[in-house]
Amino acid sequence: MIVGDLSLRELGKQLGAAGLAIQFGPFNLTIRSNLESFASLAHRLYEPYPLPGPGEIADFHVGIASPRGLRRWVRRQASFTLDGQSPFAPYTVEHAFPALEWGINWCVATRAHHLLMLHSAGIERNGLAMLFPASPGDGKSTLCTALIHSGWRLMSDEFGLVRPEDGMLLPLPRLIPLKNESIDVIRRFRPEAIIGPAFLGTRKGTVAHVRPPAESIRRAQEAARPRWFVFPRWIANAPLALEPMPKSRAFLMVATNAFNYEVLDETAFRLVAEMVRTSDCYSLSYSDLDEAVAALDELSNAVDG
Amino acid sequence: MASRLAVSPVVHGLVWQPWDDVYIVYQPSSTETHVFNETTALILKCLEQGPLAIEGIKDWAEAALGVAHGELATADFAFATARLQELGLIECLDETAAPE
Amino acid sequence: MARVASATRRAQRLLLDALRTPENLPALPPADWELLLRVARRVRLLGRIESDLSRAGLLENLPVRAAAHLRAARNVIEHRKTLVAWEVNRILWAIKGLDVPLILLKGTGYLLAGLPPSRGRIFADVDLLIPEERIGQVEQRLVERGWFKTEIDPYDDRYYRVWMHEIPPLRHQERGTEIDIHHRLLPKTSHLRSDPMPLFAAARPLADPRLCVLAPVDMLLHSLVHLFLEGDPDEGLRLRDLVDVHDLLCHFGQEPGFWAALGPRARALGFTRPLFYGLQHAQRLFATPVPPDVLQELADAAPPWPIRQLMNWLIRLALLPGHPDHPSRGAAVARWLLYLRSHWLRMPPRLLTKHLSHKAWLRLRGYRKHIDLAQLDLKQQ
Repeated sequence: MIVGDLSLRELGKQLGAAGLAIQFGPFNLTIRSNLESFASLAHRLYEPYPLPGPGEIADFHVGIASPRGLRRWVRRQASFTLDGQSPFAPYTVEHAFPALEWGINWCVATRAHHLLMLHSAGIERNGLAMLFPASPGDGKSTLCTALIHSGWRLMSDEFGLVRPEDGMLLPLPRLIPLKNESIDVIRRFRPEAIIGPAFLGTRKGTVAHVRPPAESIRRAQEAARPRWFVFPRWIANAPLALEPMPKSRAFLMVATNAFNYEVLDETAFRLVAEMVRTSDCYSLSYSDLDEAVAALDELSNAVDG
Repeated sequence: MASRLAVSPVVHGLVWQPWDDVYIVYQPSSTETHVFNETTALILKCLEQGPLAIEGIKDWAEAALGVAHGELATADFAFATARLQELGLIECLDETAAPE
Repeated sequence: MARVASATRRAQRLLLDALRTPENLPALPPADWELLLRVARRVRLLGRIESDLSRAGLLENLPVRAAAHLRAARNVIEHRKTLVAWEVNRILWAIKGLDVPLILLKGTGYLLAGLPPSRGRIFADVDLLIPEERIGQVEQRLVERGWFKTEIDPYDDRYYRVWMHEIPPLRHQERGTEIDIHHRLLPKTSHLRSDPMPLFAAARPLADPRLCVLAPVDMLLHSLVHLFLEGDPDEGLRLRDLVDVHDLLCHFGQEPGFWAALGPRARALGFTRPLFYGLQHAQRLFATPVPPDVLQELADAAPPWPIRQLMNWLIRLALLPGHPDHPSRGAAVARWLLYLRSHWLRMPPRLLTKHLSHKAWLRLRGYRKHIDLAQLDLKQQ
């Protein structure tokens, strides 16, 4: 079953009672909310996501709800909760949806230490994965969104989840939060992309969520072998440049950006070293998305041949 | 008069990954990852064969690299050995306190 | 109300059963696992459960998701263990030649002495006990060798130095581990006596003779003092600390002379009440073996009957976590009351009012810790 099999009423009822059970890649979540606005957005944007089977353990219990009591009448707010506790100050109720999405990422980043968690977007073709390790503001989300609407499968926009046992990359195809100008860039690039409403004035500026293609969500349990590291940078009017990057530099950029490289000790060192050894590493500067997509397609085609 | 230096036991657990002109080195005892240049790596290799004073390490390194005596800067060695002591990879054999 | 009570009972039963009979865990239904994981995480005992199962060779027989959470907890614990042990190594390097006795307290001591409570336990800081007159020297050396004094507001700095039993924490510029240097086990202001001299005299050296831990009876008494007097208003009394007490009693209880020395030492140091409550609750919750004559000997340390009943009720309420989806108001009140009590025992009333109002003022100003997505949050483990 998927979320889309539930009517909006059913979904609202579940959110308001024991919670909506939903599966995001390796994680099962239970989401509770008493906000109608949240229910209708969840119904639309989470539509293709699967519901875990009966008797499955939920990994995280999260919620986004208006606090009860006096404050409710003064200014409408929404609190993110994890296991009944609120780790953050409340948000204005209009930002409930992005707050929950961000909160879920926070849960993963602070708890899933059975996996190595790189801070990286990732895509896949023919079983091979391409990773875009993050530096904020380099436009990895924009590039990643363009590619998954051009024949690549989304692994994740935020997390490079590496399984320590075999070094395989696990998908976590969640909604992609586009920021500010990127929203219009993608609307122009692929008008058919499914994009949620724009939330103005969040802590990260304007945010709108892209729903990954249904195919990516359907294949969310298919791991992939890391094959390329690409460090993208969007530079206005820059000509396309895809250049090999020294491995020592690639290693340091991947390790220093990871969520839990430090926590996994020698396992993390060995995993990252192995990934960098067996992957081709490039830096990419671009201004035109079509050119960038063509250049990265070329890398993948070269392996096929 | 110069104090003699020796590798600390934790050196034997180091995991080395040479890439380009540097070594990426993982230290299990502290869980730190270091980037060492050639000089730093040479100091450790030299001291693994037995304790030496800083001048002796420099002579050894110059011979190993095949450069003329006195070509390497003593200041580089002093800096690298101080840093390696801070990281717990080498130690000063004298009874007095570790150098500043 | 009835629903909260039954949810609370179910959560507590799951947790206590998991700690007492881990061999039954592979048969636990998924819904119970789900609740157990949440409750055990809340009280930081996930790692303990992992360690029990690993010892019994049962990790293979668990639901995959439960195993993943336990693995995550273990990874964090292993990492913190290495960091704490390394920090001690670096401290020894920094103070080389000073010849100061270093007594490792709490988790640091359990870890380096290889004692049972270190199993599956999360380690936050390095805790040291050093004679008060030597602290200046040690602090100066550390600052010269790359550590710095963590930034705290001037009120807190003064509070630490004038009234407390420790100095403000130090941290190395390149590493995250905090060092807490104590010169006694309780604040100077405490109603309980806490002369540290006998502790130094009885301390036992480790394999590395530059390091010591407290003598067994002192170590046990300190773990109780820590449990009852260093609470946190939100967390209540830490069940994790009572597990330490249980482990120490089971371990040192085998040593000849331990039980006979315990009561008299508690009297000499002025810690009979914490010992009385600690033995009682360890016995009730974990079935810790305690010789009956030890408890009888402490009977006169117990408060009058109604107070004892009230305290037992409060302590149990504050020790055991509730159901995360059905919080109990009574437990929250108990946690707060015991927090007040622990401060009461540590400070004279006028200072206490001043301290608590200062804390409240900080809260009113909206003082909040900055939370970073990438930061390792120990409370999540």
